This record gives sequence, structure tokens and C-alpha cells, in this order.
Amino acid sequence: MEDIVGMGIASDLLAKPGVIAVGEYAYRGDRFSYRGALTEEYARMASIMCRATTMGANMEGAMFEALRSGSGLHPPRGWVVHGPAHTVCVVANMFCLLDNTKASINDIVGFMCRELASVTPDMI
Amino acid sequence: MSMIRRLLALDGVNVVCHFRDDGYLIEGYGLMSRNDMDRLARFARDYRRMIQGNADQLAMFTNMRGWTPPRGWVVRGATQSVCGVANLVCVVDSSGAPLNEILLELREVSHW
Amino acid sequence: MTKLDDLMKLPGAMAAFEFRGSGELLEQRIAYPDRIDESILDLLAHMCAANMSIATMQARGWEKVTTMKGFYPVQEFTLIGFDWSVVVSGLHREQYKQAGKFSLPPFMGVVMANDKADYEAAFTILEQPESGQ
Repeated sequence: MEDIVGMGIASDLLAKPGVIAVGEYAYRGDRFSYRGALTEEYARMASIMCRATTMGANMEGAMFEALRSGSGLHPPRGWVVHGPAHTVCVVANMFCLLDNTKASINDIVGFMCRELASVTPDMI
Repeated sequence: MSMIRRLLALDGVNVVCHFRDDGYLIEGYGLMSRNDMDRLARFARDYRRMIQGNADQLAMFTNMRGWTPPRGWVVRGATQSVCGVANLVCVVDSSGAPLNEILLELREVSHW
Repeated sequence: MTKLDDLMKLPGAMAAFEFRGSGELLEQRIAYPDRIDESILDLLAHMCAANMSIATMQARGWEKVTTMKGFYPVQEFTLIGFDWSVVVSGLHREQYKQAGKFSLPPFMGVVMANDKADYEAAFTILEQPESGQ
């Protein structure tokens, strides 16, 4: 990973049970980086999906804020997709792929939200 | 006359706005308050990015050429439609407005 | 005791709701009407319906293009807002679809305060079999 902060967080995440891969994606452009059991092509695809969904979530949060100021949803911190065997957790500009049988989603989400709290959505 | 203002001369075009990449309204003309034009600009910026994401994913999952880069979007409502090309957005009448011509004109103006 | 009532017992639960695939709000429970009201919940339901469709599209596309399985069907989608999170599940809808049924149950969701949010407990309740199953 190019970013020092991201590198530290990625290492910590990969050390947690059930974490298969960790990646960082750009809000603008298509730069990405990753670590773990993922091919470069799959990491690239994941970064595209993360960017698209995060843009949507930010649009939705802004809409809520326009409807009712202080709605508590804006700006969004991230999102999670929970499937039968895998979960994808995305907070700020990082994503994490989990094995459901081993990972604690609460722990991972809590960790990511704490560690990435200072990443502002200004660049979105 | 501003280049984009000429779009108002097209039949059925009620509002036209030009916005920055961050959603800030640069200029807007037509039957809409400034506040609403600010909102329209932010909405159009967000929609442009959403469509970019849609096109990227469609291309990625289908390996099909021809989706990216996306050229624009149209949301058609009961009486009003909103169409966006690049950093331009128009509100037009859903019936009577020559949407094909408007979209071509938007594309032309967006290159200036 | 309905599942909505069970969801409202989650730590930090602000609201629990059911909604159609087209986004229409159905049954609901709201803990603090001065913070979340029905109009907010209605927009939230439509947003969640859209996000479930997007996540499903992504899960299907991902499994098709890669060799990885276990993403589809999407069981829950969670949006982590600044202060609140909303978790929605379409698992029972998927089970009905796979059983070949056409009349599908609604989506179900819960809004929780982030400082207390227990996502796994929310998943557990949302994934509980429907009564009668």
C-alpha cells in the first residue's frame, strides 16, 4: 500500500481472524492497492464496486441531510454487504473481505470506523 | 450571451445549469430559484458519478464494450424530465420537448 | 411478539420497519419520533430497496466473473451513517424466490445508533425463520 496510514491499518486488519483481503480505493480515478488473498484483477474490480456504492451512499446521505438536517446519516462512514459465506465491509476508502465462519463483523466494523474516523469525505 | 444560455431557446427547455466537478453551481438560467438550481447542480453531479459507477460495473461484469465512458442520463417524470451531459443539466417538459435534439445540443455545448 | 418488536430490543434501536421491493413502507416501529418520523423512514425504505438491488447486482456479477462463491444471495445490506446505521435484510424474499414462490414477503430493516450498534445481533434476528416455518 502506498499510504502509510493505510498500510498500518491493513496489517492490523489482516491479522484479525477471518480477514481474507484488505484494499484501498480512490474516490476519484481508478488507483487502488490491496493485500491478502485476492488477485490484482479482483482487487481492481472490488475498487470499482466500492467507489460506485460509496458515491451512491454519499448521495443518499446528502439527500437525507437536505430533507432533515442532523439526520445522523450524513456523511456516511461506510457500508457492509453480508452474504452467505462472505462479508464485505467498506469504511471510508478501505474495503475488507471476510470469511463469515471466522470473522467478527462487529469487531472489524468497529476497528475500521475508529481507525478511519479522520478520513474525511472531502475528496468524494 | 453565455454559451449555455442558448439551450433555453430550445422548445421545452425550462432550466439549464452548468456545474463544477464538486457540484458547485457555476451558472444557471431558467424557471427555477437559485436555491433550487444549487440543489439541481449537486444532484446532477451525484447522478453523473452514479452513472459512471453503473457503466464501469456493467463493463466490468459483462466484458462488453460500448458502455464506458458514459455520455449522460435522463430521468423522465410525469411532466418534467431531467437530463445531464458532462457538467450540464437541463430540466425539460416531458411532452413536447425534442429530447433527441436537446441531448445533441447538450453534448455540443459540453465540449466548449 | 413480532420480529419488528424483537429488532426494537437491540441496543440503540431507533426504528424497525418492513418495506416492499418497490420501496413502499409497510409496518414500522419508531422509538423516538422526534428524531425519526414516518417521512424519514419512507425515504429510508426506498433508499434501502435501491441499495439491496445494487448489492444483489454486484454479488451476482462478482460470482459470475470471479470463481468466488458465497456472496449471493445478499442477506443484509448495512449503511453506516455518521451517527446511525441501518441494516436491511431480504433473506426471506430470496428463500421464497428459490422455492419458486411469486408472492414475496417484504424486506425488513432496523435503524441503530452507531455507538451501541450490534450488527451481528441484528443479522441474527433478521435471519430468524419466519413463524410457521
